[in-house]
Amino acid sequence: MSVARQSASQHASQPHSLAGAGTLSVRELSKRYPGGLLANDGITLEIRSGEVFGLLGPNGAGKTTLVKQIIGLLRPTSGQISLDGYDLVRDPAQARQLVTYLPQSSLPIDSLTLRQVVGLVGRIRGGDRAMVHRRATEMIEALELVPWADSLGIKLSGGVKRLVGFVMASVWPASLVILDEPTNDVDPLRRRLLWQQIRRLGRQGVSVLLVTHNVLEAEQSVDRLAVIDEGRIIAQGTPSSLKAPDRRCLRLRVNLIPGVEKPEIPQICRHHTLVGRRLHLLIDETDAGDAIQWARASIEHGIAEEYALGAATLEDVYIRLIGRDDALEMMVDRRGDA
Amino acid sequence: MSSSAIEMSTSSLGPMMKRRGLVHWLRSYALLVEWEARSLRLLLPLAIVAQILLGAGLAIGFGFLMGEIPTIEAQFLATGVTVISMITVGLVLVPQIVSQRKYAGIYDYMWSLPVPRTSSVAASLTVNSFIALPGMVLALLVASWRFDLSLQISPLVVPAALLTLVSAASVGFALAHAISNPLLTNLVTNVLLFVILLYSPINFPPDRLPGWLASLHHGLPFQHAANVMRAGLTEGLATHAGESFAILAGWAAAAWIITAWVVGRRP
Repeated sequence: MSVARQSASQHASQPHSLAGAGTLSVRELSKRYPGGLLANDGITLEIRSGEVFGLLGPNGAGKTTLVKQIIGLLRPTSGQISLDGYDLVRDPAQARQLVTYLPQSSLPIDSLTLRQVVGLVGRIRGGDRAMVHRRATEMIEALELVPWADSLGIKLSGGVKRLVGFVMASVWPASLVILDEPTNDVDPLRRRLLWQQIRRLGRQGVSVLLVTHNVLEAEQSVDRLAVIDEGRIIAQGTPSSLKAPDRRCLRLRVNLIPGVEKPEIPQICRHHTLVGRRLHLLIDETDAGDAIQWARASIEHGIAEEYALGAATLEDVYIRLIGRDDALEMMVDRRGDA
Repeated sequence: MSSSAIEMSTSSLGPMMKRRGLVHWLRSYALLVEWEARSLRLLLPLAIVAQILLGAGLAIGFGFLMGEIPTIEAQFLATGVTVISMITVGLVLVPQIVSQRKYAGIYDYMWSLPVPRTSSVAASLTVNSFIALPGMVLALLVASWRFDLSLQISPLVVPAALLTLVSAASVGFALAHAISNPLLTNLVTNVLLFVILLYSPINFPPDRLPGWLASLHHGLPFQHAANVMRAGLTEGLATHAGESFAILAGWAAAAWIITAWVVGRRP
C-alpha cells in the first residue's frame, strides 16, 4: 500500500474526514468534436482514493479534453465517468461539487488579492468564512506566498499566479483536485513546496489528477501515471513499473557542438533521441565503458562538448512510448531549459 | 506554519454535499456579485466616467445638432439620451467584457465552480447594469438643464430603468456567448451602436421613420425601452406603456432563455 493510501485510511477514523471519497473511474471514454476530430478514443483509467495520478502526454494528445469531460465542461461522445459512485456524465452539476480545477488558462484574479479570491472560492465551495480564512492562511504560509497575499492579481508574476490558482483549487477540496500544469513558470524553490502540498492533499485522502509535461518532477511525486497520445492511453502504471523494461539500462546524454551533423550512432545504442543539441542514447549498463569511450571520442573529434551518464529515467520511457523526438522537445521547451 | 496545522484543518472539512435549490442559488449569486464587483474594480471608475461623458455628451451634442427645439422634441431628446446611455452598456460594454473573458479562457474556470450558471450570469448582469446608473442620471440632469425642462418623475421610472438595463444587458450577454469569434462580436456591437444612435426611434417618435422600419422597430426593444422610460419621466408623452413593458419583458425573457441555454450547454 502506498504512503498516500496508508495515510488516507488513518484519516478515515477522524470525524468528517474526506478519506474514502475520491475514486474516479473512467470507462471507454471517447470524445469526437463536431469537426470530426477524435480527441479521446476509448480511454479507461481509475484513480483511487488519495492517489496522486499523473497524466502525461504531448500537446494535442487529448489531456485537456479528458479533464474537461470529467469536470462537466464537455459532453463525452460515449463512455462513462463516475466519481464516488456518481455518474458525472449524467450529472455534471455534481461533478462541479466534487471536483476542483486549476485550468491552464487565465484565472479571474486580476482585480482581487490572493486572500480575497481564495476566501471567495472557499465560501463558494461551501466553507464557512472563518475556516476558509484559516485554511487559506495556512496554505499561503506553506507556499511562502505571504509577501503577495494582499497584492492584486494583476501585479503577480506568472509563477505566483499559478500558485494562487493551486490555492484556489485546494483551499476547500472535495473528492478530486485536477491540476493542469500547476508548476508552469513556478520557481524551483516554490515548485518543491508545491509538490509537498500536492502530496499532502493525497495524504489527506483527496485524489489528485495531475496533468503535466514535467516528466521528471512527476516521476518523483505521483503514485501512478498514464501516458496519453493521439487520444489513447498507451501506458499506465507506477513510475517504477513503467521503467521496468529499461531497468538495466543507462542513459548517455551528449551535448553536441552547435552546427555539427548528428554523429553516427554506435551499435551498443538501443534507442536514441536528438532534442536540439542534446543527444540521448539508451544503452545497456554492461556497455557503459564502450559508451564513455564513444562519448570521449566525440569530444576529441570536435563533435561534442560534454557528456553525462546516468540511470534511465521516466523521460526515456516517455520518449520511447510516444515514439517521437518532438514529445521531449515540447517538454524541454516548456521547462525553459533547452 | 507547521504541516500538522494544515492536516488538522483539512480533516475537519465537511464532505461535499449536494447543494441545490433557491437558497443555494441566492447564496451563489451574492458571492458572485461580490466577485464581479471586485473583478471590475479596476474598470469600474473608468466605465462610470465614460458612461457619464457619453450620457452628458449626447445631451449636449444633440443640442448642437438640433439647435433650439420645441418642448416635445426636447422631452424626447432628454429621455432618449438616458435610454441610449443605458442600452450602450448592455449592448456594447457587456458583450465586449464577455468576449474578452471568453478569449482569455476565464469561463473554463468560472463554469467549473459549484454554482448555478444562471446565478453567475445574473451576478454579472447586476454589476454591469450598475455601471449604467450614474451616466443615466447625469444624462437626464444635463439634458433637463440644457433644454430647460421640468420632468414629471413617477415611481414607474424604477421598473422602467431596471427592465431596460436588464433586457439590454441580457441581449448583450446572449450575443457575446452565442457568437464564438470575439472580433465578430465587436463588429456586431459597433453596428448595433450605429443603428441605436441613428435609426432607432429613441430620440424621436417612430412615425418619422419609413413605414417598414417603424413596423420593424415595433418588434425590437429600443423604442419600447424609450417609451417605458418616458412613462416614468414625463406626463402624456408615452403611449401604450403597458404594451411596451410587455414587449421589453419579452425581450429580456427571450435573452435570458438563450443565455441560460448557451451557458448551460455542454458541447
